[in-house]
Amino acid sequence: MTTYGPASAGLGRQAAFYHPALFYGTEGEYLDGVGTFVQDALDREHSVLVAVPGPHLPLLQDLVEGNRKHVTWVDMRQAGRNPGRILSMLQEFADRAVDARTQASIVGEPIWVGRTPAEAWEATRHEALINLAFTGRPVSILCPYDTALPEDVLAQAHRTHPVVGAPGAYRASPRYTDPHEVCCDCDTPLPEPPDAVVVPFGERALASVRDEADRWAAAAGLPPVRRTDWLLAIGEATANSVRHGGGRGTLRLWCADGELVAEIRDRGRLADPLMGRRRPDPRAAAGGRGVWIMHQVCDLVEFRAVEQGLVLRLHMGLE
Amino acid sequence: MPVARRAAARPEPDSPEGRHSSVVFSDDRQWAEHLGVFVRSGLERGEQIQYFADTTAPERVLRALTEAGIDAAGAVTRGQLSVSVAAQTYLAGSGFDPDTMIGLWFDAAEAASASGYRGLRVIGEMSWGARDVAGADRLLEYELRVHEEVFAHVPLTAWCFYDRRLMADAYVSVLASAHLTHRGEPYAVPALRVAPLADRPGLLMSGSAGYDTRDAVAAAAAVISGAAARTELDLADLRHLDAASLAVLADAAAGRPGGTPLKVRQAPSPLRRLLQLFPELDSVVEVVDR
Repeated sequence: MTTYGPASAGLGRQAAFYHPALFYGTEGEYLDGVGTFVQDALDREHSVLVAVPGPHLPLLQDLVEGNRKHVTWVDMRQAGRNPGRILSMLQEFADRAVDARTQASIVGEPIWVGRTPAEAWEATRHEALINLAFTGRPVSILCPYDTALPEDVLAQAHRTHPVVGAPGAYRASPRYTDPHEVCCDCDTPLPEPPDAVVVPFGERALASVRDEADRWAAAAGLPPVRRTDWLLAIGEATANSVRHGGGRGTLRLWCADGELVAEIRDRGRLADPLMGRRRPDPRAAAGGRGVWIMHQVCDLVEFRAVEQGLVLRLHMGLE
Repeated sequence: MPVARRAAARPEPDSPEGRHSSVVFSDDRQWAEHLGVFVRSGLERGEQIQYFADTTAPERVLRALTEAGIDAAGAVTRGQLSVSVAAQTYLAGSGFDPDTMIGLWFDAAEAASASGYRGLRVIGEMSWGARDVAGADRLLEYELRVHEEVFAHVPLTAWCFYDRRLMADAYVSVLASAHLTHRGEPYAVPALRVAPLADRPGLLMSGSAGYDTRDAVAAAAAVISGAAARTELDLADLRHLDAASLAVLADAAAGRPGGTPLKVRQAPSPLRRLLQLFPELDSVVEVVDR
């Protein structure tokens, strides 16, 4: 087995895309692994983004005391609440680094203890897509994984990271898997809701579907501010069904575990798995603008390619 | 099912908004009644009257007027009344062009005035708008533009005849609601209503704008692209606006000479949210009462 040194000295770090998973069991291991990566990136004058769960931020900020302002700090629990929007943030940061003629070094911790299984699946999909999005780009993205996470989540991390390891020792992941295959594996069957409002739609019914979804969400207790987001997402999803999903679709609405779910089912295909994972030009019709908006405004977006087409579930918390 | 449009408070007949009316009907009796009221009023006022038919034979128009007790033949003889066919007049040649049409109204009103008439009144059968006529897709743009570009400047009274037997209800709703005065049968409120502002240059958009209403948004964008920078969008009653519609409207404003931002009043929450998501649009969309 090939064994690499510390993440900071990883093979090819300077020349190519570098995407290691760091497995940590203690705070000390976390600070050692992440801290070394960040300090090394700062020493090399890279643009550094640290997107980790909020409680981890102060620990890392203390570690790089003098350089705190040279790092962009992001609470992943907020920015990455929906795992589907994380990649857009990372790509935007990497693009800005290119503009600033620096390299981007990123710490991205998309899965933490407490993530729901559904969120963990979409975060795993996100991890696989990182490999597609950054192929050939000189970007380093270190992803810390708490070893207290469920076994299946940790197993997926071995499939989505070309390099894995613990502080001090990184190695090529023998279980690394083609990102497209991982994405297919993420298309797990979704649980059937016990009770849902069913609204079939075609182009002529789009406005009444939007109104129906709005009334239903209001009755379910979604606050007005979030209803705006809810409607933006459903409007984009139903329009996509009409435009790209066979001209019509079915909307189902239900409440579960303190959140509202809208499912849009049509005969479409998600041709590009990276669709909607990069900030689009708002004035360009093509380029995944609708999917990107869904990811930005929803708490979780689940995509499933099924035999009959595409299933999309938009989740929005009532809080 | 949308509720029937309420009878709006009718503007003063001689105001610009009162002189451009949609007239919706669904049988010959209603058609003849509207025709008779319009022509009789024009004759009493000493105005010149022109009827532009689409599917109705000109002689049938004259017969209906005669049956209503109006001396149509005499009016034709002295040049006060004319009945012609759209396909042989303003739709002849390369089809319908709002710019050409707007110019024609200035010429026609001037000619009527030069002949000693106190004004010009016109009925247009608009059913060609539902057929494959070149330029028919610009009919809504035209209806939206004439309030500011024609009726505010010219002593013209126009009734646009929308025959339900010849046009889909949804299309009639969109076109009829682009007028500030309505007569005849009520129509269903369209998903997205676009209409001129009565008191200043601009458009009112109300309802819900999405992929399904893209034609109406495109018409609004066409108006904005050719309009002066002071033209505003009033969105007080707009419940929903999708990103594509906003992009089309923003593009129209950005394409104007000088690239002046689009002025928006009463911006609804989806527009404000989209501007948060896409701050780069701040340079092309200006929320004036933010």
